Parts: sequence; structure tokens; C-alpha cells
Amino acid sequence: MTGRLLRGLAALVVFAVSVFPVYWMVLTAFKPTRDIQAGTPSFLPLSPTFEHFATATSAHGFWSFWRNSLLVAGGAVLLSLAVALLAAFAVARLRWKGRRGFILMVFIAQMTPWEALLIPIYVIARDTGLLDTLWMLTLVYFMITLPFTVVTLRGFLAAIPVDLEEAALVDGCSRAQAFRRAVFPLLAPGLLATSLFGFITAWNEFAFANVLIIKDQDDRTLPVWLSSFSSTFGTDWGATMAASTLFMLPVLLVFLALQGRVTTGIVGGAVKG
Amino acid sequence: MPNRPATFVLASLLVLSACGAEPGASGGEQDVTVWLMKDTATDDFVSRFETEFERDHPGLDLKIQVQEWNGITQKVTSALASTDPPDVIEVGNTQVAQYAASDGVTDLSAKVAELGGQDWIPGLAEPGAVGGKQFGIPFYAANRVVIYRKDLFEAAGVTPPKTRDEWLAATAKLDQGDTQGIYLPGQNWYVLSGFIWDEGGDLARQDDGKWTGSLNTPQALAGADFYRRLQALGDGPKDSDEAKPQQTDVVAGGRVAQFIAVPGAAKLVAKANPELADELGFFPIPGKTAATPGAVFTGGSDLIIPLASTRQDGAYEVVKALAGDKWQVELAKAMNYVPNRTSLASAVGDDPGAAAMAAGAVNGRATPNSPNWAAVEARNPIKEFLTAVLTGTDPATAAATADQVITQALNSGA
Amino acid sequence: MTTTPTRAVPHRPPSTPPPPRRRRTSWLPYLLIAPTLLATAFLLLYPLARNVIISTQEFGLPQLVRGHARFVGLANYTRVLTDAEFWAVVRRTLLFTAINVVLIMLLSTLVALLLVRLGRWTRLLVMSGLVLVWATPVIAATTVFQWLFQSRLGVVNWALVRLGFEGYRDYTWFADGPATFAILVALIVWQSVPFAALSLYAAMVTIPAELYDAARMDGAGAWRVFTTITFPLLRAMFGLVTCLEVIWVVKAFVQIWVISQGGPGQATTTLPVYAFQVAQSLQRYDLGAAVSMLMVLLLVLALLAYFRRLYRQEEVS
Repeated sequence: MTGRLLRGLAALVVFAVSVFPVYWMVLTAFKPTRDIQAGTPSFLPLSPTFEHFATATSAHGFWSFWRNSLLVAGGAVLLSLAVALLAAFAVARLRWKGRRGFILMVFIAQMTPWEALLIPIYVIARDTGLLDTLWMLTLVYFMITLPFTVVTLRGFLAAIPVDLEEAALVDGCSRAQAFRRAVFPLLAPGLLATSLFGFITAWNEFAFANVLIIKDQDDRTLPVWLSSFSSTFGTDWGATMAASTLFMLPVLLVFLALQGRVTTGIVGGAVKG
Repeated sequence: MPNRPATFVLASLLVLSACGAEPGASGGEQDVTVWLMKDTATDDFVSRFETEFERDHPGLDLKIQVQEWNGITQKVTSALASTDPPDVIEVGNTQVAQYAASDGVTDLSAKVAELGGQDWIPGLAEPGAVGGKQFGIPFYAANRVVIYRKDLFEAAGVTPPKTRDEWLAATAKLDQGDTQGIYLPGQNWYVLSGFIWDEGGDLARQDDGKWTGSLNTPQALAGADFYRRLQALGDGPKDSDEAKPQQTDVVAGGRVAQFIAVPGAAKLVAKANPELADELGFFPIPGKTAATPGAVFTGGSDLIIPLASTRQDGAYEVVKALAGDKWQVELAKAMNYVPNRTSLASAVGDDPGAAAMAAGAVNGRATPNSPNWAAVEARNPIKEFLTAVLTGTDPATAAATADQVITQALNSGA
Repeated sequence: MTTTPTRAVPHRPPSTPPPPRRRRTSWLPYLLIAPTLLATAFLLLYPLARNVIISTQEFGLPQLVRGHARFVGLANYTRVLTDAEFWAVVRRTLLFTAINVVLIMLLSTLVALLLVRLGRWTRLLVMSGLVLVWATPVIAATTVFQWLFQSRLGVVNWALVRLGFEGYRDYTWFADGPATFAILVALIVWQSVPFAALSLYAAMVTIPAELYDAARMDGAGAWRVFTTITFPLLRAMFGLVTCLEVIWVVKAFVQIWVISQGGPGQATTTLPVYAFQVAQSLQRYDLGAAVSMLMVLLLVLALLAYFRRLYRQEEVS
């Protein structure tokens, strides 16, 4: 009985510690500025206001920030899923010379310190005329997410029994057909999980977006917007928290909508990683 | 987009009247992109400037883009190195030297006379010049003043002080109950710089081309000590600057008798709390004696033209307009700035904030004139020095640590 | 969809051996990995090579603008390697990584063990909390932590004072090196535990319950069950998660940069922050490139043992 109680208590603590910072962010976003500045914080939205959301959404070019972020993050994720799926299949299902070296390469590629490549990538973009385009940004985000995507997808594939595919082959399917019919449905949660992870990474990126998009203001992305509530006079915490709330909303919605499938997906992939 | 026949007629007229402005390349309009920093000008100023500039320069289509402060160094750097940069960039006067030294900025030395360079404010003109060439054109300046609550001063029976000693006494008197005598965040290094200059010290010194940090000197330590005594007369956070939390919000939301900021900050306070709109007054930062006001850091901006811009003539027209009399006065009035030329100071009028600022501007100073100064600010050891002093670390030890960082940063480019 | 996987299986004649996997596939795998290889070559190896070149040149803002950088051999590396500050940063990075990874692995193992033992609804609650953290973008999380620990208006100081710790009234967390360090550890651990905990939990549920039952019958306590069954069975999983966490913690940059920019002093300057400071603030792109290359080298060395195991393991599977 005490064991049960202790476990319940521990669960509560884990939940509270996880959720509190996020709760505090959303709460601050709804508080009037006076309450934010108050000496004694209130833990409930006593007089909720939308003023900070109004400030946040009235920013110049608000919609183009969203469109660009969705385009760039979405494009990068789709591209890396397509490319990674092929590679993951080769690694998980086929035997070939150089396979181990390839796996090692992908693993090491995850260790790239991207902030350090800012200057070389800038120079390359300049030399190829890709500066100031969303294309370049998409390509960079694609490469940032690719190694992780290969590793996880390979894990998901490995977790799916080969028998299913072989059975389909025996049924007279081609390899591609077998893959599509037998493996793909089982792989779907894994694909979703991996793409969400890649999406979050691309969604967050600021350093490259700041340097690669120069004159074309309509090509700026959301993290730039998120930092726009600080001025020489200071940070507008209410607006920053409101913007952060909006910023994490799409990711959160997709996550919650897919909750069960995504978590089993991610963990499934990691198990065999 | 102005309508075409009208533009054409206007253009012909201007050419006929031999106006100084050269229309851009023949046929079609030329885009000229200008970067201004966030909060440099009001939206109203920007749109009026845009309209009138395009009217006066029919060949040019002006695009003003407002830049955020976060990551601005990397952004300007990438702009200067790009093949199609914006044509005019506003850069802070403490940053302009590093860009000027990069070979990526157009040398405007030949235009200094035309732009009225003889009476430019030194705090803006000097950092814009490297190796005797003028790369940065002074845009606007501002310096800090003390903004105070008239009602709280009256209630405590004090009047704006003229000397440091009076200031401490008055502030101590104000700092009673739930009233803060002064809200001074622990890391306002611009204010500290002023106190150090008052004592005859500086942030760094140059001997034979080699820089050394000079916080660990009797003068600088005396300045820091005064900062500590003043800061204690209020609840300003010791580990943060005026931006975190935004000090105008703090003042708007509580009983704060004074704070130190550029005069424009008063408008933000009034916006956040309209009740205070008529209660805010200004006075220059007091000096050691009543004869001279306290030394202040001259903040502000210069305008530069990237060398890679293919629209040099159009870009120069924008610089000429923005740095010229008409728009200088307009901008100074709209934003409570000090115009870029001393001769324009009188044109700004009798606004009380501007008056206090002008009184202080007499004793305006700039940060050490080195292309590497931006590197010092990037890691800002002076802020950490202040926090250390305020939280009880031995000032000399903290100053020595900070000096080491300053020395290293200032000599790193060599 | 005529052939669903579940229907397909029974169709298989049990006597037929599975078709040989290598049939007609000699070129297929190479075709499949070609896009990955191409992308890596152009978007990763090429920039990396350019970075190596920059690290052997005198390359500052003027060179970035004009080009014409001068070759200086290994001078940048010599300068970095003989700089005491660099080694201090390396030591700090190792300490930072060790503390973070140990805490992450410890806490996430505990959370995973807890999840296994929870009832359905409580488990769902805790898992939603973890997922919420996971979905919080790094920038948003970092901003919130700054706000939580703000000295005058932050809720942490308020709570500490209410709990009787008067010393924390207006306590300036970000002025103190160790305190800032601790906040960054808290932030990174908070962000990393969900992934690790959920992965370990998923692995734990794959262990057959009979094994545990048998162990308990033998009278083994919780600790013994963990050391004799759970850990040995999940050794590979623990290895993988630890390795990924090491990589992520060492590379952590945004959190540190936004909160402290490596300060106060150099108290929170880890290698990526140092590389960025040198490159972007001092505009010595050449030295920054050298630091970043050394960092990759150190990371590879640190994980060499794991890579060797990974390489061998692949042979077996």
C-alpha cells in the first residue's frame, strides 16, 4: 500500500516538474503586464488578457514567418524522410560491402557542430548564388536532420520482421510492392515520430536563418520573430511568452494528436537503433 | 508604386531643374534598400521619409527594412560579405569601427564637406573613421539623463540635484517605505562609464598601439564605488541590465522615484501607465561639481554603404537625405535624439527631455576607439565586473579579471 | 490493398525456405544509399573541408568580404593548443558533459522504472508530461528558464523565500558561475530526460514478465532485479542512449548562448560556445574553425570505444 502511494507521489513529482515551466510560460502569456511585474506571483490566470497575443500576432510579416517556417521545416523533413528511407532500407534489409562503414559514417555525421559550419556554408551559398533563398535553408536543415533520420528509421525497419516482406515476395509481389504493402503500414508510426523530431529541429533553428536570409525580408522564419520582442529598452516578457506559446503550438498539437503512436514509434525505433 | 506618367513628368522636371539628385539608371526604377534598427524611428517617420524621398528621387524606389537586435553582428557581417547587400545600413557607433576596418564599406571621405562634416558630433564621427578615411556617416545620438517622478520628489521635499553628493542625499531621502529611491540595474555599464570618466579614468588605455584595460585603477574603482552606493538606494537587480526586466515597465508598475535612460524612455513609461504621463521630469546626470554635468556615454548610430552595393549613387542620396538638416531635425524631434551636428541642436526645440540631454551632451564621451571594441561588448566583462562589485567581491580583483579580458579582446585582431 | 501483412503470413508455404536475400541486389544497396552519400558529400563533407581550409588560413572579416586568405599552415592550431584558456574550456566541457549525462541517465532510468510500475492512467499522465517537455522548442524552453530564475520577478526566488530561505530574496543566479552552471544543467537535463526515459521504458516493456517473476521468486530485491536482469538485457539500449546524450550535451549551444553567452566570466563556456565566441564575436573565423575541428576530434576520441563496439556488433547482426 505504501509502495503504491510512493509511486503515485513520484509520478506526481515527475509530472509537476515536467509541466510547470510550460505552464508558467502559458500563464505569463495570459497575465496583464502589471501582474507579470508583481512582487507576489499568482499561479492562476485571475484576469486573463489577450493583449500579449495581440502584440505578438500584430508583428509585421507575421503570416510570412509562419508560411516560411512551415515550408522550410516541412520541406526539409520530407526530403530527409525520402532520402533516409532508401538508405535505412539498404542498411536494415540488405547485405553489402561497406555497410558497416556507412553506418559508422552516418553515426559520426550526427556529431557535426553545425554552428561552426556557419561561415563555410555561408561562403558556399554565396558562391553558388543560393544566398537569400529558402532553398538553401531547406537544404541545410535537411542535412542537419538526415543522419538522425537514417539511424532511427533503420531501427524501426529492423524491428519489423523480415518474414512479412518475404511472404509478400512469395505472393508474387515485387520488392517495391512488398515493401509498400507489408512494411509501410507498420512503419508509419516510426515515420511520423522521426519526422516530428526532424521538424522540431528545423523549426527551432536561428543561426543559419539569420545569416543566410539577408535582404529578402519576406523569407524570414519564426525564430527571428520570436526574438523580436526584445528592444534596446528590454524584453517584453508577456509578448515573448505569448509568441513562445504560439511557436510551440503546432508541434504540440501534432504530438498530442498522434500521442500513442508517436511515443511507441520513437521508442520502437530506439530499441533496435 | 507611384503612377508612371506622373513619375515621368516629375522626373523630367527634376532633370530640367538640374536638381543635385541624379536619377538612377535610365529606364525603370531602381530599388534602394535601407536597414534601420528596431526602435530607431517611428513608423510615421519611416513612411513620411519614404514618400518624400521617392518624390524627390523619381528614379529610386526606397525599401526600408527594420532589423532586430538579436544576432545583428552576424547579420551585418553576412550582408557586407554578400554580393547583393542592402545599400545603406545603420550600425551602432560602438560597432561601426569594426565594419569600417573590413574593406567592405565604401569610403565617403570625399563627401564629408558636402554632408556638413565640420561640426559632426565627435562621438559619432570618430568611430566612423579608420586610418583617416570616413566610412561611417553620423546619423543620430542620444545620451542618458535621469528621469524622475515629480510627485514623489515633491512628497519627499527634494528638488533635482546638481552634484553627486546632493544626488546621493536626495535619493536616500526618497528611498523610504515602498518607494525606490532609484531603479538602477546592476549591469548598466554605460552609466558606470560616465562615473569612471568623471573620476578621470577610462575603460581602456592605448600606449604605442597596444591597448590595456584600465578598470583596476583608482579612478575606475572610485567610479564603481559611487555606482555601488547609488545602486543600493533602490531594488535594481544586481545581475541584470536595463533590458531584463525592461526598466520602463518596472517604473510604470511601481513607485520608482528615478531611473537613468535616454529621454525617449519616458514615452514608454507613459504608454505602459498613462497616469504617469505628466509626472515625469528630466535632469542631466549630476557631476562631481555643480559646474559640469556628469560625463555620459554618447550612444547612437552611423550610416554605412556596403562596397558591394551596385547602387552606390542611390545609396549616397539616401545617406545625404537622412544626414541632412531636414530629416535630422524631424528625427530628433520625433525620437528625442541629439542631431548629428552641433549646429542643429538649437533647432530641436525646448522639449524638457531634449534640454536635459543637450545639457549632458556637453560632456559626452565615446567608448575606446578600436575596431575590436565590439569584441569587448560581445562578451561584456564590464557587466560582470559590476555584478561582482555589487555582490561583495573585492573590486580590485574583479577589475583585474575584467581588464584581462578587455586587453585580450582589444589586441586580438592584430 | 489486397495483401495485408496479417493475411500474407499464413499464405506462406511453410516448407519453402525464405528466398536468398542477396539475389540480384549487388547494385541495389549502393543505389539506395546514393542520395544519402551525395547529400552528405555536398552539404556536410564539402563545408567541413572548407572549414578545414579556413582553419589553415588567416581568415577574418576582411578575408570573408574580399577573399584572398593567406595560408598559414598549422599556426591557428598551435595558437589554440598553446592557449591555457582552450584547455580550461576542454576540461569544463568534459565536466559539463559528465554531470549532465550521469544525471540524465540516472533520472531517466528511474522514470522509466516508475513508468513500468504505474497504472494505466497515471502512466498516461506522466507520459503526456514528458511528451509536452519534448515538444517544447529549445528556444521557448530556454526563455522560460531565464524567466523562472529572474532575480527580482522570478518565481524560483519567490518560492525559495516563501520556504524560508531568506538568502534567496533577489538572489542573482546569473551573476554566479556555479549557479548559472547549475541552471544550465537543470535546463538540459529537463529537456533530455523525456527522450531517454521513454526509450528506456519502451525497451523495458519488451523484457518478458516471466523473467522478473522468476527472479522475485528467488527472493531478489528491486536493486538485484535491475542489476541481474534489466540492465544486462538492455545493455545495448543503455549504450545507445548514453552515446546519443553525450553527443547532444557536448553540442548544446543555443541554451548556453541565450542564457549566459558562456558567462559569467568563462564559467559556462563549453567548446561550441567557445568556438562561436572566437569566430563570431572576435571575428577570427580561422581560430574558430580550428577550435571546432578539435572539438570534433575530441568527440570522436571520446566515443571511440563505442564506435568500435558498434562496428563489431554490426558484423554479428
